[in-house]
Amino acid sequence: MSAITAVMKKEVRDAFSNWWLLLYGGLFTLLALGLSYLGQKNLGSLGFENFSRTTASLLNLCLLLAPLIALSLGAGAIAGERDRGALTYLLSQPLERRELLLGKFAGLFASIGLATTAGFGAAGIVISLSGSAMDAGTYLLFLFLVLALIAVMTGLGLVASVVSATRVQALGLAVLVWFAAVFFFDLVLIGMVSATSLGDGGLLLALLANPVEIVRVLAIIHLEPDLEVLGPFGSYLLDEWGMARATGLLALALVAWTVMPVWLAVRLFERRDS
Amino acid sequence: MRSPMLKVEGLVKAYGPLRAVDGASFSLDAGTVVALLGPNGAGKTTTFKCILGVTGFEGTIEVDGLSVRERGKEVRRRLGYLPQTPALSDGDTCRQALEFLAELKGADKGRVARLLKLANLWEQRDTKVSRLSGGMRQRLALAAALLADPPVLLLDEPTASLDLESRREFHDLIARLRDEGKTVILSTHFLDRLGDLADRVIVLNQGRVVFDGTMRELAERAPTNRFVVNLNGTAPAAFSEALRAIGIGPERVTPADSHWEDLLLASLPAGEEKEGEPR
Repeated sequence: MSAITAVMKKEVRDAFSNWWLLLYGGLFTLLALGLSYLGQKNLGSLGFENFSRTTASLLNLCLLLAPLIALSLGAGAIAGERDRGALTYLLSQPLERRELLLGKFAGLFASIGLATTAGFGAAGIVISLSGSAMDAGTYLLFLFLVLALIAVMTGLGLVASVVSATRVQALGLAVLVWFAAVFFFDLVLIGMVSATSLGDGGLLLALLANPVEIVRVLAIIHLEPDLEVLGPFGSYLLDEWGMARATGLLALALVAWTVMPVWLAVRLFERRDS
Repeated sequence: MRSPMLKVEGLVKAYGPLRAVDGASFSLDAGTVVALLGPNGAGKTTTFKCILGVTGFEGTIEVDGLSVRERGKEVRRRLGYLPQTPALSDGDTCRQALEFLAELKGADKGRVARLLKLANLWEQRDTKVSRLSGGMRQRLALAAALLADPPVLLLDEPTASLDLESRREFHDLIARLRDEGKTVILSTHFLDRLGDLADRVIVLNQGRVVFDGTMRELAERAPTNRFVVNLNGTAPAAFSEALRAIGIGPERVTPADSHWEDLLLASLPAGEEKEGEPR
Protein backbone atom coordinates (compact mmCIF):
# COMPACT_ATOMS: atom_id res chain seq x y z
CA MET A 1 0.00 0.00 0.00
CA SER A 2 2.82 2.42 0.83
CA ALA A 3 4.30 1.91 -2.65
CA ILE A 4 0.95 2.87 -4.22
CA THR A 5 0.75 5.95 -1.97
CA ALA A 6 4.32 6.95 -2.86
CA VAL A 7 3.64 6.67 -6.61
CA MET A 8 0.32 8.50 -6.20
CA LYS A 9 1.94 11.44 -4.37
CA LYS A 10 4.66 11.65 -6.99
CA GLU A 11 2.07 11.57 -9.77
CA VAL A 12 0.10 14.42 -8.17
CA ARG A 13 3.29 16.47 -7.86
CA ASP A 14 4.21 15.77 -11.48
CA ALA A 15 0.66 16.40 -12.74
CA PHE A 16 0.52 19.86 -11.20
CA SER A 17 3.79 20.77 -12.87
CA ASN A 18 2.33 19.60 -16.19
CA TRP A 19 1.10 22.61 -18.12
CA TRP A 20 -1.68 20.59 -19.80
CA LEU A 21 -3.36 20.02 -16.46
CA LEU A 22 -2.81 23.63 -15.38
CA LEU A 23 -4.27 24.80 -18.70
CA TYR A 24 -7.24 22.49 -18.27
CA GLY A 25 -7.82 23.62 -14.67
CA GLY A 26 -7.58 27.29 -15.61
CA LEU A 27 -9.74 26.95 -18.73
CA PHE A 28 -12.32 24.86 -16.94
CA THR A 29 -12.60 27.31 -14.04
CA LEU A 30 -12.86 30.28 -16.40
CA LEU A 31 -15.54 28.64 -18.54
CA ALA A 32 -17.46 27.47 -15.47
CA LEU A 33 -17.38 31.01 -14.07
CA GLY A 34 -18.42 32.44 -17.44
CA LEU A 35 -21.31 30.02 -17.77
CA SER A 36 -22.48 30.77 -14.23
CA TYR A 37 -22.24 34.52 -14.83
CA LEU A 38 -24.15 34.35 -18.14
CA GLY A 39 -26.72 32.06 -16.57
CA GLN A 40 -27.32 34.56 -13.77
CA LYS A 41 -27.44 37.53 -16.11
CA ASN A 42 -29.88 36.05 -18.60
CA LEU A 43 -32.09 34.07 -16.30
CA GLY A 44 -31.53 35.77 -12.99
CA SER A 45 -35.13 35.68 -11.85
CA LEU A 46 -35.73 32.04 -12.54
CA GLY A 47 -34.08 30.61 -9.41
CA PHE A 48 -33.66 26.84 -9.61
CA GLU A 49 -34.19 26.90 -13.37
CA ASN A 50 -31.25 29.24 -13.51
CA PHE A 51 -29.08 26.82 -11.56
CA SER A 52 -30.32 23.97 -13.66
CA ARG A 53 -29.36 25.62 -16.92
CA THR A 54 -25.96 26.61 -15.64
CA THR A 55 -25.40 23.02 -14.58
CA ALA A 56 -26.60 21.73 -17.96
CA SER A 57 -24.09 23.99 -19.71
CA LEU A 58 -21.41 22.80 -17.32
CA LEU A 59 -22.39 19.22 -18.19
CA ASN A 60 -21.64 19.74 -21.87
CA LEU A 61 -18.37 21.41 -21.00
CA CYS A 62 -17.41 18.53 -18.71
CA LEU A 63 -18.36 15.83 -21.19
CA LEU A 64 -16.06 17.47 -23.72
CA LEU A 65 -13.03 18.54 -21.69
CA ALA A 66 -12.75 16.10 -18.77
CA PRO A 67 -12.50 12.92 -20.93
CA LEU A 68 -9.88 14.57 -23.15
CA ILE A 69 -7.56 15.53 -20.33
CA ALA A 70 -8.09 12.24 -18.45
CA LEU A 71 -7.44 10.14 -21.55
CA SER A 72 -4.36 12.07 -22.59
CA LEU A 73 -2.75 12.18 -19.14
CA GLY A 74 -3.58 8.49 -18.61
CA ALA A 75 -2.03 7.69 -21.99
CA GLY A 76 1.23 9.37 -21.01
CA ALA A 77 1.50 7.62 -17.63
CA ILE A 78 3.36 4.44 -18.58
CA ALA A 79 4.32 5.17 -22.21
CA GLY A 80 5.91 8.44 -21.08
CA GLU A 81 8.11 6.65 -18.54
CA ARG A 82 9.05 4.11 -21.19
CA ASP A 83 9.92 6.89 -23.65
CA ARG A 84 12.34 8.60 -21.30
CA GLY A 85 13.91 5.30 -20.25
CA ALA A 86 12.61 5.51 -16.69
CA LEU A 87 10.25 2.53 -16.68
CA THR A 88 12.93 -0.11 -16.11
CA TYR A 89 14.41 2.02 -13.32
CA LEU A 90 11.00 2.39 -11.64
CA LEU A 91 10.33 -1.33 -11.95
CA SER A 92 13.76 -2.09 -10.48
CA GLN A 93 12.48 -0.63 -7.20
CA PRO A 94 10.68 -2.83 -4.66
CA LEU A 95 7.23 -2.39 -6.16
CA GLU A 96 4.98 -4.60 -8.24
CA ARG A 97 3.78 -3.58 -11.67
CA ARG A 98 0.20 -3.37 -10.43
CA GLU A 99 1.29 -1.06 -7.60
CA LEU A 100 2.95 1.28 -10.09
CA LEU A 101 -0.14 1.30 -12.28
CA LEU A 102 -2.62 1.73 -9.42
CA GLY A 103 -0.48 4.52 -7.94
CA LYS A 104 -0.41 6.27 -11.32
CA PHE A 105 -4.18 5.86 -11.67
CA ALA A 106 -4.88 7.20 -8.18
CA GLY A 107 -2.51 10.15 -8.65
CA LEU A 108 -3.90 11.15 -12.02
CA PHE A 109 -7.49 10.77 -10.84
CA ALA A 110 -6.77 12.90 -7.77
CA SER A 111 -5.05 15.61 -9.85
CA ILE A 112 -7.67 15.88 -12.60
CA GLY A 113 -10.42 15.52 -10.00
CA LEU A 114 -8.97 18.39 -7.95
CA ALA A 115 -8.68 20.66 -10.99
CA THR A 116 -12.27 19.85 -11.98
CA THR A 117 -13.61 20.31 -8.46
CA ALA A 118 -11.93 23.72 -8.34
CA GLY A 119 -13.86 24.74 -11.47
CA PHE A 120 -17.10 23.42 -10.03
CA GLY A 121 -16.40 25.11 -6.71
CA ALA A 122 -15.84 28.46 -8.42
CA ALA A 123 -19.11 28.16 -10.34
CA GLY A 124 -20.95 27.01 -7.21
CA ILE A 125 -19.69 30.01 -5.25
CA VAL A 126 -20.85 32.41 -7.97
CA ILE A 127 -24.29 30.82 -8.01
CA SER A 128 -24.54 30.93 -4.20
CA LEU A 129 -23.37 34.55 -3.95
CA SER A 130 -25.94 35.63 -6.51
CA GLY A 131 -28.64 34.46 -4.11
CA SER A 132 -30.15 31.91 -6.49
CA ALA A 133 -31.80 28.88 -5.07
CA MET A 134 -29.34 26.04 -5.31
CA ASP A 135 -29.98 22.35 -4.99
CA ALA A 136 -26.62 21.45 -3.49
CA GLY A 137 -27.46 17.73 -3.61
CA THR A 138 -27.99 17.72 -7.36
CA TYR A 139 -24.92 19.85 -7.87
CA LEU A 140 -22.82 17.42 -5.83
CA LEU A 141 -24.32 14.45 -7.67
CA PHE A 142 -23.35 16.10 -10.91
CA LEU A 143 -19.80 16.66 -9.69
CA PHE A 144 -19.65 13.04 -8.55
CA LEU A 145 -20.75 11.85 -12.01
CA VAL A 146 -18.08 13.93 -13.72
CA LEU A 147 -15.47 12.53 -11.31
CA ALA A 148 -16.64 9.02 -12.17
CA LEU A 149 -16.24 9.82 -15.87
CA ILE A 150 -12.73 11.08 -15.16
CA ALA A 151 -11.94 7.76 -13.44
CA VAL A 152 -13.28 5.80 -16.43
CA MET A 153 -11.32 7.84 -18.95
CA THR A 154 -8.10 7.79 -16.91
CA GLY A 155 -8.40 3.98 -16.84
CA LEU A 156 -8.94 3.85 -20.61
CA GLY A 157 -5.95 6.17 -21.05
CA LEU A 158 -3.85 3.75 -19.00
CA VAL A 159 -4.90 0.87 -21.25
CA ALA A 160 -3.74 2.91 -24.25
CA SER A 161 -0.51 3.69 -22.40
CA VAL A 162 0.24 0.06 -21.59
CA VAL A 163 -0.42 -1.32 -25.08
CA SER A 164 1.51 1.41 -26.89
CA ALA A 165 5.22 1.37 -27.62
CA THR A 166 5.62 5.15 -27.45
CA ARG A 167 3.95 8.15 -25.86
CA VAL A 168 2.91 9.53 -29.27
CA GLN A 169 1.24 6.24 -30.17
CA ALA A 170 -0.57 6.19 -26.82
CA LEU A 171 -1.75 9.79 -27.24
CA GLY A 172 -3.01 9.01 -30.74
CA LEU A 173 -4.98 6.08 -29.40
CA ALA A 174 -6.37 8.24 -26.56
CA VAL A 175 -7.55 10.96 -28.94
CA LEU A 176 -9.21 8.31 -31.10
CA VAL A 177 -11.12 6.97 -28.06
CA TRP A 178 -12.11 10.53 -27.08
CA PHE A 179 -13.35 11.33 -30.57
CA ALA A 180 -15.29 8.07 -30.76
CA ALA A 181 -16.90 8.48 -27.33
CA VAL A 182 -17.71 12.18 -27.51
CA PHE A 183 -18.64 12.76 -31.16
CA PHE A 184 -18.66 9.70 -33.34
CA PHE A 185 -20.68 7.38 -31.12
CA ASP A 186 -23.83 9.53 -31.07
CA LEU A 187 -23.77 10.19 -34.79
CA VAL A 188 -23.29 6.56 -35.75
CA LEU A 189 -25.92 5.25 -33.37
CA ILE A 190 -28.52 7.82 -34.28
CA GLY A 191 -27.88 6.89 -37.90
CA MET A 192 -28.23 3.20 -37.06
CA VAL A 193 -31.44 3.79 -35.14
CA SER A 194 -32.93 5.63 -38.13
CA ALA A 195 -31.70 3.21 -40.75
CA THR A 196 -32.21 -0.09 -38.97
CA SER A 197 -34.21 -1.43 -36.15
CA LEU A 198 -31.86 -1.92 -33.21
CA GLY A 199 -34.59 -3.25 -30.96
CA ASP A 200 -34.88 -2.67 -27.21
CA GLY A 201 -31.84 -4.74 -26.33
CA GLY A 202 -29.78 -3.06 -29.01
CA LEU A 203 -30.68 0.41 -27.78
CA LEU A 204 -29.81 -0.50 -24.22
CA LEU A 205 -26.48 -2.04 -25.20
CA ALA A 206 -25.67 0.98 -27.32
CA LEU A 207 -26.25 3.25 -24.35
CA LEU A 208 -24.20 1.12 -21.96
CA ALA A 209 -21.33 0.86 -24.45
CA ASN A 210 -20.40 4.51 -24.06
CA PRO A 211 -19.49 5.84 -20.60
CA VAL A 212 -19.89 9.45 -21.79
CA GLU A 213 -23.46 8.70 -22.80
CA ILE A 214 -24.12 6.93 -19.47
CA VAL A 215 -22.97 10.00 -17.51
CA ARG A 216 -24.92 12.37 -19.75
CA VAL A 217 -28.17 10.42 -19.37
CA LEU A 218 -27.66 9.89 -15.63
CA ALA A 219 -27.04 13.60 -15.10
CA ILE A 220 -29.98 14.73 -17.21
CA ILE A 221 -32.57 12.38 -15.72
CA HIS A 222 -31.73 13.83 -12.31
CA LEU A 223 -31.31 17.38 -13.48
CA GLU A 224 -34.05 17.93 -16.01
CA PRO A 225 -35.79 14.84 -17.31
CA ASP A 226 -36.75 16.58 -20.51
CA LEU A 227 -37.25 14.17 -23.36
CA GLU A 228 -35.78 16.57 -25.91
CA VAL A 229 -32.54 16.90 -23.98
CA LEU A 230 -32.38 13.23 -23.09
CA GLY A 231 -32.06 11.96 -26.63
CA PRO A 232 -33.23 8.60 -27.98
CA PHE A 233 -31.31 6.38 -25.54
CA GLY A 234 -32.27 8.28 -22.40
CA SER A 235 -35.90 8.57 -23.45
CA TYR A 236 -36.08 4.86 -24.14
CA LEU A 237 -34.52 3.99 -20.80
CA LEU A 238 -36.78 6.26 -18.79
CA ASP A 239 -39.89 4.98 -20.58
CA GLU A 240 -39.04 1.32 -20.22
CA TRP A 241 -37.24 1.16 -16.88
CA GLY A 242 -38.48 4.10 -14.83
CA MET A 243 -36.30 6.55 -12.90
CA ALA A 244 -35.13 4.30 -10.01
CA ARG A 245 -34.28 1.22 -12.09
CA ALA A 246 -32.70 3.29 -14.83
CA THR A 247 -30.51 5.06 -12.26
CA GLY A 248 -29.47 1.75 -10.72
CA LEU A 249 -28.62 0.20 -14.06
CA LEU A 250 -26.62 3.19 -15.26
CA ALA A 251 -24.79 3.51 -11.93
CA LEU A 252 -23.85 -0.14 -12.11
CA ALA A 253 -22.63 0.24 -15.66
CA LEU A 254 -20.54 3.24 -14.59
CA VAL A 255 -18.95 1.24 -11.77
CA ALA A 256 -18.12 -1.52 -14.27
CA TRP A 257 -16.66 1.04 -16.67
CA THR A 258 -14.52 2.42 -13.84
CA VAL A 259 -13.17 -0.95 -12.70
CA MET A 260 -12.74 -2.80 -16.01
CA PRO A 261 -10.21 -0.54 -17.78
CA VAL A 262 -7.98 -0.36 -14.69
CA TRP A 263 -8.18 -4.13 -14.25
CA LEU A 264 -7.42 -4.64 -17.95
CA ALA A 265 -4.49 -2.19 -17.83
CA VAL A 266 -3.03 -4.05 -14.82
CA ARG A 267 -3.37 -7.44 -16.54
CA LEU A 268 -1.82 -6.21 -19.77
CA PHE A 269 0.99 -4.42 -17.93
CA GLU A 270 1.81 -7.53 -15.91
CA ARG A 271 2.12 -9.51 -19.12
CA ARG A 272 4.33 -6.98 -20.92
CA ASP A 273 8.06 -7.45 -20.92
CA SER A 274 9.04 -4.03 -19.53
CA MET B 1 28.36 -24.22 3.69
CA ARG B 2 27.14 -20.64 3.17
CA SER B 3 24.88 -20.18 0.19
CA PRO B 4 25.97 -17.55 -2.32
CA MET B 5 24.51 -14.05 -2.12
CA LEU B 6 23.69 -14.16 -5.83
CA LYS B 7 23.20 -17.32 -7.87
CA VAL B 8 22.47 -17.35 -11.60
CA GLU B 9 21.90 -20.75 -13.20
CA GLY B 10 21.20 -21.48 -16.85
CA LEU B 11 19.95 -17.96 -17.49
CA VAL B 12 18.34 -17.56 -20.91
CA LYS B 13 16.68 -14.41 -22.18
CA ALA B 14 15.40 -14.44 -25.73
CA TYR B 15 13.89 -11.62 -27.77
CA GLY B 16 12.26 -13.55 -30.57
CA PRO B 17 14.99 -15.54 -32.35
CA LEU B 18 17.77 -13.51 -30.64
CA ARG B 19 19.20 -14.96 -27.44
CA ALA B 20 20.50 -11.93 -25.54
CA VAL B 21 21.59 -14.19 -22.67
CA ASP B 22 22.26 -17.80 -23.59
CA GLY B 23 22.65 -20.14 -20.63
CA ALA B 24 24.78 -17.94 -18.37
CA SER B 25 25.65 -19.34 -14.94
CA PHE B 26 27.69 -17.80 -12.13
CA SER B 27 27.45 -17.11 -8.43
CA LEU B 28 28.76 -14.46 -6.05
CA ASP B 29 29.61 -14.88 -2.37
CA ALA B 30 28.68 -12.13 0.05
CA GLY B 31 31.17 -9.27 0.17
CA THR B 32 32.77 -9.89 -3.23
CA VAL B 33 33.19 -7.45 -6.10
CA VAL B 34 32.77 -8.93 -9.56
CA ALA B 35 33.41 -7.10 -12.82
CA LEU B 36 31.18 -8.05 -15.73
CA LEU B 37 32.97 -7.41 -19.01
CA GLY B 38 32.02 -7.91 -22.61
CA PRO B 39 31.49 -6.01 -25.84
CA ASN B 40 28.33 -4.02 -26.50
CA GLY B 41 25.42 -6.41 -26.95
CA ALA B 42 27.11 -9.17 -24.95
CA GLY B 43 24.12 -9.38 -22.59
CA LYS B 44 25.42 -7.44 -19.55
CA THR B 45 22.45 -5.07 -19.17
CA THR B 46 19.99 -7.85 -19.97
CA THR B 47 21.57 -9.97 -17.23
CA PHE B 48 21.04 -7.09 -14.78
CA LYS B 49 17.41 -6.72 -15.88
CA CYS B 50 16.85 -10.43 -15.27
CA ILE B 51 18.46 -10.26 -11.81
CA LEU B 52 16.15 -7.31 -11.02
CA GLY B 53 13.15 -9.29 -12.22
CA VAL B 54 11.96 -6.50 -14.52
CA THR B 55 11.93 -8.82 -17.51
CA GLY B 56 10.94 -12.45 -17.96
CA PHE B 57 13.65 -15.11 -18.27
CA GLU B 58 14.33 -18.85 -18.26
CA GLY B 59 16.61 -20.43 -15.69
CA THR B 60 17.09 -19.69 -12.01
CA ILE B 61 18.18 -16.53 -10.25
CA GLU B 62 18.37 -16.30 -6.46
CA VAL B 63 19.39 -13.36 -4.32
CA ASP B 64 20.12 -14.14 -0.67
CA GLY B 65 18.33 -17.46 -1.20
CA LEU B 66 15.16 -15.82 -2.59
CA SER B 67 13.88 -16.65 -6.05
CA VAL B 68 13.65 -13.58 -8.28
CA ARG B 69 10.74 -15.06 -10.19
CA GLU B 70 8.67 -15.90 -7.12
CA ARG B 71 9.63 -13.14 -4.70
CA GLY B 72 10.66 -10.29 -6.97
CA LYS B 73 9.62 -7.46 -4.66
CA GLU B 74 11.52 -8.87 -1.68
CA VAL B 75 14.55 -9.48 -3.90
CA ARG B 76 14.50 -5.89 -5.14
CA ARG B 77 14.60 -4.69 -1.52
CA ARG B 78 17.99 -6.41 -1.30
CA LEU B 79 19.29 -4.88 -4.53
CA GLY B 80 20.63 -1.42 -5.23
CA TYR B 81 20.62 -0.70 -8.96
CA LEU B 82 22.58 1.98 -10.74
CA PRO B 83 21.69 2.11 -14.44
CA GLN B 84 24.03 3.36 -17.14
CA THR B 85 21.80 6.38 -17.68
CA PRO B 86 20.16 7.38 -14.40
CA ALA B 87 16.44 7.90 -15.03
CA LEU B 88 15.62 10.15 -12.10
CA SER B 89 12.76 12.59 -12.55
CA ASP B 90 14.14 15.81 -14.06
CA GLY B 91 11.48 17.98 -12.45
CA ASP B 92 12.36 16.85 -8.91
CA THR B 93 15.03 18.34 -6.71
CA CYS B 94 17.77 15.97 -5.52
CA ARG B 95 16.08 15.71 -2.14
CA GLN B 96 12.60 15.06 -3.64
CA ALA B 97 14.01 12.39 -5.96
CA LEU B 98 15.63 10.53 -3.06
CA GLU B 99 12.63 10.97 -0.75
CA PHE B 100 10.34 9.43 -3.36
CA LEU B 101 12.65 6.43 -3.82
CA ALA B 102 13.14 6.09 -0.04
CA GLU B 103 9.36 5.83 0.33
CA LEU B 104 9.19 3.21 -2.41
CA LYS B 105 11.97 1.21 -0.79
CA GLY B 106 10.52 1.60 2.69
CA ALA B 107 13.81 3.20 3.75
CA ASP B 108 14.28 5.59 6.65
CA LYS B 109 13.96 9.13 5.28
CA GLY B 110 16.79 10.15 7.60
CA ARG B 111 19.12 8.37 5.20
CA VAL B 112 18.31 10.88 2.46
CA ALA B 113 20.34 13.66 4.10
CA ARG B 114 23.14 11.26 5.04
CA LEU B 115 23.45 9.93 1.49
CA LEU B 116 23.26 13.38 -0.08
CA LYS B 117 26.28 14.26 2.03
CA LEU B 118 28.04 10.99 1.18
CA ALA B 119 27.47 11.66 -2.54
CA ASN B 120 28.82 15.16 -2.03
CA LEU B 121 25.49 16.65 -3.15
CA TRP B 122 24.32 18.34 0.05
CA GLU B 123 24.82 21.80 -1.45
CA GLN B 124 22.70 20.75 -4.44
CA ARG B 125 19.92 19.20 -2.34
CA ASP B 126 17.33 21.71 -3.58
CA THR B 127 18.68 21.83 -7.14
CA LYS B 128 16.54 20.22 -9.82
CA VAL B 129 17.91 16.97 -11.26
CA SER B 130 17.75 18.50 -14.75
CA ARG B 131 20.40 21.06 -13.70
CA LEU B 132 22.94 18.49 -12.47
CA SER B 133 26.05 17.53 -14.44
CA GLY B 134 26.49 13.94 -15.64
CA GLY B 135 28.81 13.12 -12.74
CA MET B 136 26.43 14.61 -10.18
CA ARG B 137 23.52 12.62 -11.61
CA GLN B 138 25.59 9.48 -11.37
CA ARG B 139 26.43 10.20 -7.72
CA LEU B 140 22.77 10.95 -6.99
CA ALA B 141 21.77 7.65 -8.62
CA LEU B 142 24.36 5.82 -6.49
CA ALA B 143 22.93 7.52 -3.39
CA ALA B 144 19.49 6.29 -4.53
CA ALA B 145 20.83 2.75 -4.92
CA LEU B 146 22.16 2.85 -1.34
CA LEU B 147 18.96 4.22 0.26
CA ALA B 148 17.72 0.94 1.68
CA ASP B 149 21.26 -0.18 2.59
CA PRO B 150 21.01 -3.21 0.24
CA PRO B 151 23.49 -6.07 0.58
CA VAL B 152 23.90 -6.35 -3.22
CA LEU B 153 24.70 -3.57 -5.67
CA LEU B 154 24.22 -3.86 -9.43
CA LEU B 155 26.21 -1.14 -11.16
CA ASP B 156 25.67 -1.00 -14.93
CA GLU B 157 28.56 0.87 -16.55
CA PRO B 158 28.45 3.50 -13.81
CA THR B 159 31.58 5.31 -14.96
CA ALA B 160 30.85 5.33 -18.70
CA SER B 161 30.07 9.05 -18.80
CA LEU B 162 32.60 10.16 -16.18
CA ASP B 163 35.98 11.80 -16.67
CA LEU B 164 39.13 10.18 -15.28
CA GLU B 165 39.02 12.07 -11.97
CA SER B 166 35.32 11.33 -11.35
CA ARG B 167 35.96 7.72 -12.28
CA ARG B 168 38.71 7.47 -9.67
CA GLU B 169 36.40 8.97 -7.02
CA PHE B 170 33.72 6.53 -8.03
CA HIS B 171 36.08 3.57 -7.80
CA ASP B 172 37.17 4.75 -4.34
CA LEU B 173 33.53 4.74 -3.32
CA ILE B 174 33.07 1.19 -4.64
CA ALA B 175 36.19 0.10 -2.70
CA ARG B 176 34.65 1.57 0.46
CA LEU B 177 31.39 -0.27 -0.17
CA ARG B 178 33.32 -3.51 -0.66
CA ASP B 179 35.10 -2.90 2.65
CA GLU B 180 31.67 -2.46 4.27
CA GLY B 181 30.80 -5.98 3.09
CA LYS B 182 28.58 -5.17 0.12
CA THR B 183 28.39 -7.61 -2.77
CA VAL B 184 28.97 -5.64 -5.96
CA ILE B 185 28.50 -6.69 -9.56
CA LEU B 186 29.88 -4.03 -11.84
CA SER B 187 29.71 -3.91 -15.61
CA THR B 188 32.32 -1.64 -17.13
CA HIS B 189 34.31 -0.73 -20.20
CA PHE B 190 37.20 0.59 -18.14
CA LEU B 191 39.91 -1.75 -16.93
CA ASP B 192 41.77 0.77 -14.79
CA ARG B 193 41.93 -0.31 -11.17
CA LEU B 194 39.84 -3.41 -11.84
CA GLY B 195 42.82 -5.53 -10.74
CA ASP B 196 42.64 -3.93 -7.28
CA LEU B 197 38.90 -3.52 -7.13
CA ALA B 198 37.39 -6.72 -8.49
CA ASP B 199 37.85 -10.09 -6.81
CA ARG B 200 36.69 -11.75 -9.99
CA VAL B 201 36.04 -10.99 -13.64
CA ILE B 202 33.26 -12.53 -15.69
CA VAL B 203 33.44 -12.03 -19.44
CA LEU B 204 30.23 -12.33 -21.43
CA ASN B 205 30.15 -12.74 -25.17
CA GLN B 206 26.96 -13.20 -27.19
CA GLY B 207 25.09 -13.97 -23.99
CA ARG B 208 27.49 -16.66 -22.79
CA VAL B 209 29.98 -16.65 -19.96
CA VAL B 210 33.31 -17.12 -21.76
CA PHE B 211 35.58 -16.44 -18.80
CA ASP B 212 35.13 -16.52 -15.02
CA GLY B 213 38.24 -15.98 -12.92
CA THR B 214 40.62 -13.37 -11.53
CA MET B 215 42.01 -10.45 -13.47
CA ARG B 216 45.49 -11.99 -13.26
CA GLU B 217 44.25 -15.30 -14.69
CA LEU B 218 42.66 -13.41 -17.55
CA ALA B 219 45.86 -11.49 -18.24
CA GLU B 220 47.90 -14.71 -18.16
CA ARG B 221 45.71 -16.24 -20.83
CA ALA B 222 46.43 -13.45 -23.28
CA PRO B 223 48.58 -14.96 -26.06
CA THR B 224 50.38 -11.71 -26.78
CA ASN B 225 50.82 -8.27 -25.37
CA ARG B 226 50.58 -6.51 -28.72
CA PHE B 227 47.17 -5.40 -29.86
CA VAL B 228 45.69 -3.13 -32.46
CA VAL B 229 42.74 -1.33 -30.97
CA ASN B 230 40.28 1.40 -31.75
CA LEU B 231 40.59 4.13 -29.11
CA ASN B 232 37.16 5.48 -30.02
CA GLY B 233 37.37 8.56 -27.81
CA THR B 234 39.40 7.01 -24.99
CA ALA B 235 42.50 9.03 -24.14
CA PRO B 236 45.72 7.12 -25.02
CA ALA B 237 47.17 7.77 -21.55
CA ALA B 238 44.09 6.34 -19.83
CA PHE B 239 44.12 3.35 -22.12
CA SER B 240 47.80 2.65 -21.54
CA GLU B 241 47.22 2.91 -17.82
CA ALA B 242 44.34 0.45 -18.07
CA LEU B 243 46.46 -2.03 -19.99
CA ARG B 244 49.30 -1.73 -17.49
CA ALA B 245 46.82 -2.45 -14.69
CA ILE B 246 46.28 -5.93 -16.11
CA GLY B 247 49.94 -6.46 -16.87
CA ILE B 248 49.92 -5.70 -20.55
CA GLY B 249 52.44 -3.18 -21.85
CA PRO B 250 51.18 -1.55 -25.04
CA GLU B 251 53.98 -1.15 -27.55
CA ARG B 252 51.97 0.34 -30.34
CA VAL B 253 48.54 1.92 -30.46
CA THR B 254 46.98 2.70 -33.87
CA PRO B 255 43.43 3.31 -35.06
CA ALA B 256 41.67 0.08 -36.05
CA ASP B 257 38.21 -1.41 -36.41
CA SER B 258 37.91 -3.48 -33.26
CA HIS B 259 36.72 -2.33 -29.83
CA TRP B 260 39.26 -2.60 -27.03
CA GLU B 261 37.16 -5.23 -25.29
CA ASP B 262 37.86 -7.53 -28.18
CA LEU B 263 41.36 -7.87 -26.77
CA LEU B 264 39.86 -9.62 -23.77
CA LEU B 265 37.91 -11.95 -26.00
CA ALA B 266 40.95 -12.48 -28.19
CA SER B 267 42.83 -13.71 -25.15
CA LEU B 268 40.45 -16.62 -24.65
CA PRO B 269 41.16 -20.15 -25.87
CA ALA B 270 39.60 -20.88 -29.25
CA GLY B 271 37.29 -23.53 -27.76
CA GLU B 272 35.50 -20.96 -25.62
CA GLU B 273 34.64 -18.69 -28.50
CA LYS B 274 31.88 -18.77 -31.02
CA GLU B 275 32.51 -19.16 -34.69
CA GLY B 276 33.40 -15.94 -36.43
CA GLU B 277 34.57 -14.26 -33.24
CA PRO B 278 37.27 -11.68 -34.03
CA ARG B 279 40.73 -12.57 -32.73
